[in-house]
Amino acid sequence: MKLIFVEFFKLKMKLRAWLGPILIFLLIIISFPLTVELSSEALNDVFYSILWIASLLTIMVSVESIFLEDYEDGYLEYFYVANNSLFSLIFTKILIYWILIGIPISCLGTFFSINMSDDISSLNIALPSLLISTYIFINLFALGNSLSLNKGSALGALITIPLLFPILILLGKIVLNANFGFEISNLLLLMLGVLLLIIVFIPFIISFIIKTHLE
Amino acid sequence: MYPYILYFSVLFYAFALVWGLGFAPADYVQGNSFRIIYLHVPASFLSQSLYIVMAIAAGIFLIWKVKLAAYMIKSIAPVGALVTFIALISGSIWGIPTWGTWWQWDARITSTLILFIMYLGLISLHSSFTNFEKADKFISVLVLIGFVNIPIIKKSVDWWSTLHQPASITLTNKPSIDPTMLYPLIFSMIGFSGIIVSLIILSSKVHIFKRESHKSWVKRNV
Amino acid sequence: MSNSILLKVDNIGFSINQNRLFHNLSFNLKKGKALHIKGNNGSGKSSLIRILLGITPAGKGSILWNKNTDICFLGHKNVLKNYLTLSDNLYIHGIDSNESKTKDILADLGLIKRLDTIVGNLSYGQQKKLALIRIFLNQAKVIILDEPCVGLDDSTRILTTKFLSSELKKNKSIIYTSHIPIDIDSETITLGGNQV
Repeated sequence: MKLIFVEFFKLKMKLRAWLGPILIFLLIIISFPLTVELSSEALNDVFYSILWIASLLTIMVSVESIFLEDYEDGYLEYFYVANNSLFSLIFTKILIYWILIGIPISCLGTFFSINMSDDISSLNIALPSLLISTYIFINLFALGNSLSLNKGSALGALITIPLLFPILILLGKIVLNANFGFEISNLLLLMLGVLLLIIVFIPFIISFIIKTHLE
Repeated sequence: MYPYILYFSVLFYAFALVWGLGFAPADYVQGNSFRIIYLHVPASFLSQSLYIVMAIAAGIFLIWKVKLAAYMIKSIAPVGALVTFIALISGSIWGIPTWGTWWQWDARITSTLILFIMYLGLISLHSSFTNFEKADKFISVLVLIGFVNIPIIKKSVDWWSTLHQPASITLTNKPSIDPTMLYPLIFSMIGFSGIIVSLIILSSKVHIFKRESHKSWVKRNV
Repeated sequence: MSNSILLKVDNIGFSINQNRLFHNLSFNLKKGKALHIKGNNGSGKSSLIRILLGITPAGKGSILWNKNTDICFLGHKNVLKNYLTLSDNLYIHGIDSNESKTKDILADLGLIKRLDTIVGNLSYGQQKKLALIRIFLNQAKVIILDEPCVGLDDSTRILTTKFLSSELKKNKSIIYTSHIPIDIDSETITLGGNQV
């Protein structure tokens, strides 16, 4: 519990690390309509995919140095010596990133999507899919960035994005099904299942990787 | 020993090509353009099977800490990228006369492109570390993650859309290709695989010598 | 393992990139004793400490810690967040800067008036002092220090020495490396050369 407070505190005090990404999300959302003729049908059709890509890019930017600072000032080492395991730290870090970045951009994205389609039902599509997918994205980008750690974020992104394609396709299917008026709850459940698997396994893999970095 | 594998498989592949290009009948729909199959199919077959080999090596390295397995991964990755690149290019060339386009957002093509990017990701990950022992571990972890993920990517991309003709040869079903074309194809696959395998042996040999350069047996042999 | 022995190191060896730093190294750490690890630069002092901490695996041999031995460690890195204030940094390490004991130490180190300063604005020596507070307030049975006195002024060094000898009297154990002599009773292990 104390760990959650400490990690929350650490991230909260770094404005650029969480407010920055949220603003970047807004900027991406704004910049897409500028490149399409305004109020056209076309924008409505692609708006959801703009949302997915914007959230992916935002998470990519925000997670790029999730472990770097703790690695460089010796905090990871300190934590490992004290607890003999890194799992709880990594799990908490990812959770905090989701709370401070994932949830706000999910809400913002949902807000814009309601505006876009004049339809309150989009609330059922955008909000749950964004909430689940941002958590998955953060986990996987954390994995990629733990591999590249102090070797620059481009390498982390290069490693991670191919792993995210299935989730993007799933998100696309959800919108497709919703447009045809089909049930989407089973797809959301599938994504939730993926998330539950990932929540447990990814921090394990990351702690192995970071332990190797510390050696 | 590998030079003999190399000579033999080059001969074998040349034989298969002469047979396939010169003597096998033209396809009655695709005409002569189908003959690029003797490059495309072996390359796409190897692009995936090399990844499987790497994944096995990665497992062996992480569980039993066999250094040789790590050297194998390191030497397969560039060759795998090359083979995947050949598969993509030959597929594009084949696509122009048959589909009228060199690129299509189709499931198999897209997943091959993703595979190509993943190979390059592996190479750049390994090359960015100066401590090779760590780099070996990282690359193995990434290979295994990719190994779990590639079938998922393939399935999901399939789900997304497909245009590509289904695989011509599978182990379980009767092949959907005429024997006169099939035999040179099988020969070309064996020959091509042989060339690639000897390339891998050559590059891992170089790699072992480089990494173990302080050992006395290396000094004796070089 | 008898109760007075906290750590038993048996025949360990270590090499980086096939460059052998030490081999066949064996020693024990007893309660209330200090161990000084000596050696030239690059002789493997820091590596040995990281092996003892369980961060780096040893090439061979065995390292046995007595059960329930907690360790307090300060290495080259100070584990400070340079965008946070001094008191916030103490909070991250679970230290309440309003407690009287903490305040005493802060006063001794001359940091009491700078509790609201951002750590990034402190000098290197002051940051090292701040890192030492964590050591001074620890409850662990074993203290491991890697070059604790680098960048410290004389008064702080004397304070550190005093603290360490009082800890020894409290039956705690210390392992340290230092090029700057620290005046406490300690056994010496020398790495490199023909020693050990």
